[in-house]
Amino acid sequence: MKGMKVKTDSPVTRKAREGVMEFLLVNHPLDCPICDQGGECDLQDQSMAFGSDRSRFTDNAFTGKRAVEDKNIGPLIKTIMTRCIHCTRCIRFASEVAGVDDLGTSGRGSDMQVGTYVEKMFKSELSGNVIDLCPVGALTSKPYAFTTRPWETRRIESIDVMDAVGSNIVVSMRTNEVMRILPRLNEDINEEWISDKSRFAYDGLKRQRLTTPFVRNNSGELVATDWETALFDIAQRVKDANPATIAGVAGGQADLEAMVCLKDMINRLGSEVLCTEEAFPMINSGTDFRSNYVMNTTIAGIEESDLVFLVGTNPRLEGSLVNARIRKSWVHNEMCVVLLGAPVDLSYDYQYLGDSFSVLKEIADGSHPIAKALADADKPMIILGSDAIQHNNGSLILDTVKRIAKNTKKSLNHPDWKVFNVLHRNASQVGALDMGYKPGMDSLKCDKPSLLFLLGADADKLNNDDLHGNAGVIYIGSHGDAGAQMADVVLPAAAYTEKDAMYVNTEGRAQVGRQAVSPPGMARHDWKIIRALSEILGVSLPYDKLSDVRGRLAEISPTFDRPGRVEETGFDNVSDDVTIDKITHTGATAPVVPALLKLRDFYMTDPISRSSLTMAKCVQAYDEAEANPYSKPEAI
Amino acid sequence: MSLFQKIGNIGKIFRQNGGLVGSYLKLFRTDDLKWGTLVGEDKYGNKYFQNDYYFMGRNRWVEYPLSVGHDYDASQVPPEWHRWLQYIADEPPSQLPLPKRKWMADHTENLSGTERCYVPYSTTRPKVEAWVPPKNNL
Amino acid sequence: MAGIARITPGLSASLCRTQSVPAVTTLVRTNTTQAPKQEKSTYGPLKDQDRIFTNLYGRYDFKLKGAMARGSWYKTKEIIEKGHDWILKETVTSGLRGRGGAGFPTGMKWGFMNKPSDGRPKYLVVNADEGEPGTCKDREIMRHDPHKLIEGCLVAGKAMHARAAYIYIRGEFYNEASNLQIAINEAYNAGLIGKNACNSGYDFDVFVHRGAGAYICGEETALIESLEGKQGKPRLKPPFPADVGVFGCPTTVSNVETVAVAPDICRRGGEWFASFGRDRNRGTKLFNISGHVNNPTTVEEEMSIPLRDLIERHAGGVIGGWDNLLAVIPGGSSTPLIPKEVCDDVLMDFDDLIRTQTGLGTAAVIVMNKSADIVRCIARLIDFYEHESCGQCTPCREGVTWMAKVMHRFQTGNAQQDEIDMLYELSKQIEGHTICALGDGAAWPVQGLIRHFRPELERRMDEFDKKRATSN
Repeated sequence: MKGMKVKTDSPVTRKAREGVMEFLLVNHPLDCPICDQGGECDLQDQSMAFGSDRSRFTDNAFTGKRAVEDKNIGPLIKTIMTRCIHCTRCIRFASEVAGVDDLGTSGRGSDMQVGTYVEKMFKSELSGNVIDLCPVGALTSKPYAFTTRPWETRRIESIDVMDAVGSNIVVSMRTNEVMRILPRLNEDINEEWISDKSRFAYDGLKRQRLTTPFVRNNSGELVATDWETALFDIAQRVKDANPATIAGVAGGQADLEAMVCLKDMINRLGSEVLCTEEAFPMINSGTDFRSNYVMNTTIAGIEESDLVFLVGTNPRLEGSLVNARIRKSWVHNEMCVVLLGAPVDLSYDYQYLGDSFSVLKEIADGSHPIAKALADADKPMIILGSDAIQHNNGSLILDTVKRIAKNTKKSLNHPDWKVFNVLHRNASQVGALDMGYKPGMDSLKCDKPSLLFLLGADADKLNNDDLHGNAGVIYIGSHGDAGAQMADVVLPAAAYTEKDAMYVNTEGRAQVGRQAVSPPGMARHDWKIIRALSEILGVSLPYDKLSDVRGRLAEISPTFDRPGRVEETGFDNVSDDVTIDKITHTGATAPVVPALLKLRDFYMTDPISRSSLTMAKCVQAYDEAEANPYSKPEAI
Repeated sequence: MSLFQKIGNIGKIFRQNGGLVGSYLKLFRTDDLKWGTLVGEDKYGNKYFQNDYYFMGRNRWVEYPLSVGHDYDASQVPPEWHRWLQYIADEPPSQLPLPKRKWMADHTENLSGTERCYVPYSTTRPKVEAWVPPKNNL
Repeated sequence: MAGIARITPGLSASLCRTQSVPAVTTLVRTNTTQAPKQEKSTYGPLKDQDRIFTNLYGRYDFKLKGAMARGSWYKTKEIIEKGHDWILKETVTSGLRGRGGAGFPTGMKWGFMNKPSDGRPKYLVVNADEGEPGTCKDREIMRHDPHKLIEGCLVAGKAMHARAAYIYIRGEFYNEASNLQIAINEAYNAGLIGKNACNSGYDFDVFVHRGAGAYICGEETALIESLEGKQGKPRLKPPFPADVGVFGCPTTVSNVETVAVAPDICRRGGEWFASFGRDRNRGTKLFNISGHVNNPTTVEEEMSIPLRDLIERHAGGVIGGWDNLLAVIPGGSSTPLIPKEVCDDVLMDFDDLIRTQTGLGTAAVIVMNKSADIVRCIARLIDFYEHESCGQCTPCREGVTWMAKVMHRFQTGNAQQDEIDMLYELSKQIEGHTICALGDGAAWPVQGLIRHFRPELERRMDEFDKKRATSN
């Protein structure tokens, strides 16, 4: 209220807090020594500040304290409901931020219980955040249970690579192990949330790891070896290969430093064939202008928008925090959402246009009512999912969406507002494109490379038919997944928590992740591997320190030199007029449907989450919950 | 003790230890020369003697088999003979065999310093599970 | 919980001062033309022709025909056509204070709604969730005189430009809701409400919403939440319902009795209504007398009638005579009790009861004579509050549970004497630290008990100790 004065430290306030504190402890168990929240518990802090050193609750001897049955709400969140102090933050988070009305209260007064009423899984991609929200130890992390105390861990600020959002995270480390991952506040990107995959997939960092180099022997088996043998083996292969057909592929979680080293090395060997696993149609100006392939309005910009048109994407699973931001706007700003794609549950209402490409064409022609809605909107946004443009007709879809964006811009009141946005799924994609990697592997398949470097490329999009007859494959990465299996030489590299590395998110924002733990076994940092290899190949790269590599990055693009900032994209008007490829309409197109449809698909998408036991349990629990929604998914 | 008895003892010692050469070798090997009655022999070839002429503490002793050469040590004595040797019991196991249980392991000497010595190893699981390449790939 | 909407004595006094300003100016103006009004010094009994609720006992027809015969809907059209300013002026002149318990000046409250419209409709919500133990005045109105309420809705609605009235009726009041719905249907059919109500050109709808039996839904913001279909849990104020109320629109929540007397005030004039009772405690009021009296009853009486008069005239006196009186809870379960010494000369109005550290509340007089186990009575009340606490605020959720535990031990005396002070401190720790007034309402009975019956508590503890000592 206007003119209201709020006193937060008056004697009356202190007295009131002391009173409330005493009441809270009446029914709160004093099990701090065995409580996972111990050390980071709001109630402990309050008790330190306002609590008494002894209890007046003599009724403990007569009637005891309240006890509540624990509830099983899935494999991620452990509940000890006796500790609940009924603040209902989890309920508010679930219904307001996550958009899942799974949690609620039943009963009244001191008989009130927080729960799902009928015991079932808390099905949300953001469910882990209730652990951070819970002020006491009522909701704690199941995988983290009884492992460490918060004061024993070191906390390292880093960047998440599970999707292209680039959520800011804190990695808690002890004895060279990642103990847990928490969100870090960044109002521009993830606010204070992270998705469950970012939070819980860390146990995948300890499984299926490459800890030694491997070389394939004569009988076709990968045999563990040392670095020297492996590097000299590669040197021999490079000597045998045709330099012009040496190729490199950057995977979904490759960092900028490694990508620039790989690019420089392969260029010095005399080849230009460098591409990313994820495709992006090279129509019109292709990836020459940044505005063509980043989220131009930024994630925070979603809050300014009044109409969001989603094409071929399921942002809830492809970029959970982008979806949370859309939901926030939808709730508070009366934003409208229109979706063309699969009729997925986005946690908010939207106008569904079907999944047919013809609707998109109608909008581009202006004959569809949505075209008018876009033109009338104050700040419309079109978000194109990168999944929709992976297949052959991707160029057609991209071209149509760009035409819609162009038409919309004509009638826009805000000349600076950029309508066109791409929501990527891979943490490396925007950085690779910024650096000059070619999107997609079509060109590579045409060239039939004689030697192929895979930088963490595990999407299983290549097979041996795409390569030259006896081409060698060298895999540099952290996990034994699809890439390592097809490789002839495997070089163990570091995962994202094990290296100081930079990533560019879907907005085009470069961010620095810090090393939390050291790489396991003989694994080394990616860029150092490539630097060492270049020395042996006789094309020494001119940088010896990480700062030198960062300097090289800054030479390539100023965006890499300003971590944390997002550079505004320019030339978005020009970009459509420059033509590289002619679009040819190839008849009917397949439905514009993204790959991730259900929450089940969300949990395992990359080498780390595929190795994670926790994520596997989530998939299992989801399947069981689908089969029988109201039975207990598993014993607590 | 008379002089004769002493000379008699020396004679017994020489006789028991295989004459002058044998006694020399025994002295070389054990730095001691004694005579006594053979109380028993265990399955490892250790011979146990007793002669109460010697003072308590020296009146029971063991002679290790020649096969171990100079590498003998007290841990080669099995527990049941140790029992007799260290005066825990008066009856040697040859007279009063101890009950043999199914779960009793065979006696082994102390292996420290040998190839077969015990080396401690970690019982915790490795922090990182390494990838094992599939065998029948390609 | 009609009786406990929180209003601190200081605040109510200040509100009353501001409210009395127009009255003072009236006085100055009338001074020039006629003799100053003589303040009464004795109050009650109410004459039959001054009664507003003439069918309180259901002796006559409650339907439209009977109601019109008793004067309802008489010249309602003219009242409406006089406009909202006139209605408000009459309400202010009458000195009517909210009958739900807090006693907020009604004219002022309805006046809050007359801000310039921002396009949102305004609503009148009638609080018919009469759950306060001891109170049974609204149900008499709704089952025997529902047209008074419906007409009141129309008049009050006009005063605040409301689009519709929602009558939130307690779930247990099945027959009352039925009668009310019959009356509403009649009124619709007769064109008295609905489109162009009473031919005055004013559109006004009346809806009945049945609750599900939670005491807390009688709190105005919890009532609004419940009306919106959510759990009945009070909202934090501000924003007040006059800004953001039911369905996000400006709303006024008024008690049934407050609304039902509005048409008669307008018909007979605010001056008539103001001629009853003391200054700042004007009008007539429904009193419910229950407990240890010979004839428990609901009666309409003049405000400021002495408590003893009220009990002896209308309820046939205390069982066993006035000297057998132990204590009285004067305003529904959430007001502190007063012992007999106080009852002898206290007046039943807002100010005199505040003077004696209690409150008028809903004017539900609960009489206890010496056969009552006073500690058990209060313990039972705390059980009620423990059961009805919504659990939103910690002091109420945990504190009332704690108080209930202690009270039950006090009942047998199984406690230490210093726990009496602790209990008093606990009740002070609850009072004023919650969103709604349920916490206060639960704390006050305990405070009243300790204030007036501390020796009784100590006696029980001594007795218990002695018994334990001898048994050991």
